[in-house]
Amino acid sequence: MLRSVDGLFFKLEKFLNLIAALVILGVMLVGVSQVVGRKLADFLGDVFDKNVPDALSWIGPVPGYVDIIEMVMTIFAFIAIAYCQRLGGHVRMEIILGRLKGRVLYGLEIFGTLVALAVVLILMYFAYQHFGRAWEIGDSTIDIELPIWPSKLLVPFAFLILAIRLSLNLAGFIRLFLNPDGDEIAVPHIESVDEQAQHEIDAGLAGEEEKIDLLNRDKGGNS
Amino acid sequence: MSEFAIGVIVTVGLLVMVFMGVRVYAAAAMAGLVGMVWLIGWDAGAGIVGTIPHSKSVNYVLSVLPMFILIGFIAYHAGLTHALFDAAKAWFGWVPGGLAVASVFATAGFAAVSGASTATAAVFSRVAIPHMLDHGYSPKLAAGVVAAGGTLASLIPPSAILVIYAIIVEESVGTLILAGFVPGVISAVIYAMLIIGQCAIKPELGRAIPFPPLGEALRTLPGTTPIFAVVAIIFSAMYAGWATPTEAGALGAFVVLVIALWRGMRWNALQNALMETAKLSVMIFALIWGVLIFVRFLGFAGLPEAFAEWIVNLPLEPVLIMVGILLGYAVLGMFMDAIGMLLLTLPVVYPAVIALGYDPIWFGIIVVKMCEVCLITPPVGLNCYVVSAVRPDIPLGDVFRGIFPFFLMDAVTVGLFLAYPEIVLWLPNLVNS
Repeated sequence: MLRSVDGLFFKLEKFLNLIAALVILGVMLVGVSQVVGRKLADFLGDVFDKNVPDALSWIGPVPGYVDIIEMVMTIFAFIAIAYCQRLGGHVRMEIILGRLKGRVLYGLEIFGTLVALAVVLILMYFAYQHFGRAWEIGDSTIDIELPIWPSKLLVPFAFLILAIRLSLNLAGFIRLFLNPDGDEIAVPHIESVDEQAQHEIDAGLAGEEEKIDLLNRDKGGNS
Repeated sequence: MSEFAIGVIVTVGLLVMVFMGVRVYAAAAMAGLVGMVWLIGWDAGAGIVGTIPHSKSVNYVLSVLPMFILIGFIAYHAGLTHALFDAAKAWFGWVPGGLAVASVFATAGFAAVSGASTATAAVFSRVAIPHMLDHGYSPKLAAGVVAAGGTLASLIPPSAILVIYAIIVEESVGTLILAGFVPGVISAVIYAMLIIGQCAIKPELGRAIPFPPLGEALRTLPGTTPIFAVVAIIFSAMYAGWATPTEAGALGAFVVLVIALWRGMRWNALQNALMETAKLSVMIFALIWGVLIFVRFLGFAGLPEAFAEWIVNLPLEPVLIMVGILLGYAVLGMFMDAIGMLLLTLPVVYPAVIALGYDPIWFGIIVVKMCEVCLITPPVGLNCYVVSAVRPDIPLGDVFRGIFPFFLMDAVTVGLFLAYPEIVLWLPNLVNS
């Protein structure tokens, strides 16, 4: 049951991360057109001595560039936050946790998850209030007057997804606390040094033909 | 209870949570929230805290981070590693220990663009070590060079970690990116001098290889242009101000992406690179707003000022205090990821360092250099570990023995920057004046 909910929810998290990823690609493309457009416009201005013909007058920096970037930033700053949590990507200190096993470990994990869940729920409520104020006043950006509320609404939305993910983690850790020998389901996994090394090697050799497998993943080992 | 006492209690609470393994973003946000509510009440305190994630994340300056990260993840697919090593081999191979010198420059050059020290060490273990061993180089030297070369990642532009430093201490992102360049190059040159010295005294460690015919040497250069293009775009944009960091980063990422696609990068690989970029970006954003919630509370409690005053009034030379702070970072860095360590410590340490009269830009460079040194020191020394994992014929102990001289040289480099801050500050001052 927990396994299938976890798997299903992970699909949603992956999808949100993909959106964030595509927005990053978009920010790159908009940034390139901004620079190129600005430089071309300067160049045309010099060539035509400020009388750029109408046919070329559309060339220039992206209108409201900074506004657009700040508007879409909320997407890659927030909506993948649960995906990162699922994969255990958020920084923490594992000097003590890494040496513990069984109930003590899972007890601490439950504590850590509860702290995160509590703060995320409170932040969700107050971030929603923050959105509410922008919605009522009809706040907009300075340059091209985009409404600000959608970007503010994304924050409590991302926190809601994260809160659901943290609840799943919590359920997973409680399950393990009750039965420390069970499979790890719906919880981020503490990486051994081998696994960390494997990640770095995978990243480093991403462009190479021949891979290296420290963990015997092909032979059904720990993955 | 005084504001100061509340500040101390909450800070201790934060440290306890961090040591117990609470994710840093959550621990910092929780500590900041509790502190604010304690100081100014539920509605005002939590109300302020609730606005911080959005207001601090939505800042154009921060949009440079995913651009720099994206450059890194795509760079592995652009076929740059072999091209760089071939070029470095042709142009630097003729000095004593030439292949090792070439490896340092190739690794440093690639690390600069990829921004990832450990992954760079992994790929150059594959690219450079076999060549060195074929030419009879000492395996310890070969492994040490590759593990150490990766640590130059975060000084030479583009560097995400320098951007994060700039944001936390509210300094100019462009100035810090620029300031990293000279110290990064000096670190690489000092490594190279170490190798040349060692191999001149003991030629059996690694011999020179002959300079190839000029035409052949020249033909190695075009393959390396993307690396130089990225560094040059970002460096010149910061130097001459023709683009913002985000725009320069976008242009750099675009150049690398075009090369990677031309080299046959498929949608699958691109999607992976983008997904990894998004994941790392959101992690950094979460840390930033989490820590800034805590920083807002610290400001209310007056803790940084109190700590700075205490530091300044210590009956010690500022330089000794600075050495103490750097040693503290060296120890902490053994247990914690560099970004988390910087974000967590800077809000308190930075005002004290400034009160001691040190330059904010200079301190950024020193502290980031320290973070990198931690990647090659035991107990974990992930760079060394990865080199040994890719080359099981070189035991971990040999990698650590091979890297030890480089570690000493890093200590010399940090000492040099400490004694002559103008080495670090010359370039940024040139631009700002």
